[in-house]
Amino acid sequence: MEDIILKTTDLTKKYNNKVVVDNLNIEIKKGEIFGLLGPNGAGKSTTINMICSIVRPTAGAIELMGKNPWKQKKDVIHKIGYIPQELAIHGNLKAWENVELFTSLYGIKGEQLKNAITESLEYVGLMEHSQEFAKNFSGGMKRRLNIACAIGHTPELLIFDEPTVGIDPQSRNFILDKIKESNQKGATVIYTSHYMEEVEAICTRIAIMDNGKIIACGTSEELKKIVNGNDETITLEEVFLTLTGKKLRDYAE
Amino acid sequence: MIRYLIKNNFKLMFRNTWSIVVMLLGPILVIVVLSSAFSELMKSYEGVGEFAAGYRMQDAAGNNVMLKALKAAGEEAGIHFYEYPEGEIKDMMEKNELAGFVEFFENEYVVYKSADYEVEGITLEYFMNKMMNTAVNASLQLQEQEDIVLPVEELNFMPAVNARDYYGIIYIVYFCWCGIICATGVLSNEKKYGIARRFYVSNITGLQSYLGKFIPVILTVTAGMAIATAITILLYDIHWGNPILSIVIVFMMIAAGTAVGLMFYNLSDSLVITIILQFTIVWFMGFFGGSFETYMFSSIPDTLKRSSPIYHGNRALVELSCMGESNYAASSLVYSFAIMVVCSMIAILADSIRKRGRA
Ligand SMILES: Nc1ncnc2c1ncn2[C@@H]1O[C@H](COP(=O)(O)OP(=O)(O)OP(=O)(O)O)[C@@H](O)[C@H]1O
Ligand SMILES: [Mg+2]
Repeated sequence: MEDIILKTTDLTKKYNNKVVVDNLNIEIKKGEIFGLLGPNGAGKSTTINMICSIVRPTAGAIELMGKNPWKQKKDVIHKIGYIPQELAIHGNLKAWENVELFTSLYGIKGEQLKNAITESLEYVGLMEHSQEFAKNFSGGMKRRLNIACAIGHTPELLIFDEPTVGIDPQSRNFILDKIKESNQKGATVIYTSHYMEEVEAICTRIAIMDNGKIIACGTSEELKKIVNGNDETITLEEVFLTLTGKKLRDYAE
Repeated sequence: MIRYLIKNNFKLMFRNTWSIVVMLLGPILVIVVLSSAFSELMKSYEGVGEFAAGYRMQDAAGNNVMLKALKAAGEEAGIHFYEYPEGEIKDMMEKNELAGFVEFFENEYVVYKSADYEVEGITLEYFMNKMMNTAVNASLQLQEQEDIVLPVEELNFMPAVNARDYYGIIYIVYFCWCGIICATGVLSNEKKYGIARRFYVSNITGLQSYLGKFIPVILTVTAGMAIATAITILLYDIHWGNPILSIVIVFMMIAAGTAVGLMFYNLSDSLVITIILQFTIVWFMGFFGGSFETYMFSSIPDTLKRSSPIYHGNRALVELSCMGESNYAASSLVYSFAIMVVCSMIAILADSIRKRGRA
């Protein structure tokens, strides 16, 4: 049987009685690139934040590599690399210093830390800019640095929360290639986005989420079949729109 | 692992240029302004004229050689000593219009002061203190010599802490308690960029993340204060006392002030509230402790004065400067240390409660 990296059971989050994540059950196996797809406000970030022990669940259980990330945080937290949706880097620190600061939080030091920083910066292609201040970076460079800050401790599970928001196609392709590369080296990946092509290009399995619920889950072929039988011409985007409806999403509460 | 956190937070603080400028220029500017504005007030203290004091020797107290030296030094400093062997000391002082009275016992002496001669009383106290120290030193060193000659010139300087020395010292103390300004660079950035999320997804403990801020702040403030002190010494020739003791006292106050600030921040989770609270509290502590009106002349009740850690620090450092020693050095150190420990603990606790309850 394959190793299960992550399992959630009836995971629920309510904000003031508004259900944001609704009895979520997902199971992710080792080696997968699992795509979490959904419109704005679907609850993707909230789900991820609960898994990473940033937001406390209202109900339900999370099992991360056999451990509860809330109760056994020490045993498991260093095995995940979390790339937040909003940039979490210090503008007043240089790229090198940012990666040093956040990688050192996992107890890495000395020569090992230097190597980890170099590898992380090379991974995102920022090594030549390692001595520049993050505040002077372009949007795409900041996004890449945001990733570099989360991977220095070589996590087994990489969680990307919309890592490609607001960047050009070159940077996007670069990041997608890197995610695939990490996956080939053995990392399991959770990837959230609302860009269909991205998810279709890299994910081995996709869950479509709306209003806090998973409304469909499977490979992209399976999802297309759910909507349109055996017709191959349908795109994932059409699947998405069919499943989540065409109404505009505005959750500004 | 906390080493890298400290290092980079340290950099963040130093790159937050305005806070460093405030910490440097603040004390220098305030010292310039106040040392001239308040020197008038200080003059009453410096310019205390000649006055009379009584004394009484109990039994085996002292010897005549020392008495002679005391009287000679007193004349030199404008204090005329008259002996009153009999009678109630209080009555003697009132009847003879004495500004003060010294009663010598075998191993100690007591200085009596009068409410009507406040300034003279303080002068007498300083005089006696300095005098006894000098006398003890002199008699230890010159045991073979017949006569003890006291270096009188030094005594003239003794009671007169001038306005520049006073405010030069006091405003370094005052700004020590405002060190949280230096943390704004880190705190506002952490908040703005949601850095806390990265801390949550790591093994870092509450104590470590606290020290990660506490240590660089006190290092930054210490460096800033060292530079400000050096500049004010060069510009205004400010006299500090015992350098090591003074540095330790100042350092402990920086640590205490930083702990108070971080406690406010962890409790309120708001930089604005923290700054407002910190500045208000420091203002009151300074008001009670002689940061605006000199503590010798302020009409603040003694209990209020003593409740202010700034009072202990001010008094310790000023007395070290003009008397060479101070009973307040120890109380200042203990007070600052206690504040540092208690506030740090509350800060860490508040942080962990907030983390546990986070949305
Ligand atoms: N702290 C909070 N308090 C109240 N409501 C919140 C809070 N955080 C998130 N929400 C709400 O939860 C819902 C889901 O938000 P979430 O950020 O998980 O969505 P998302 O799928 O990541 O969306 P996006 O694609 O825009 O990032 C939204 O309606 C949002 O308004
Ligand atoms: Mg999101």
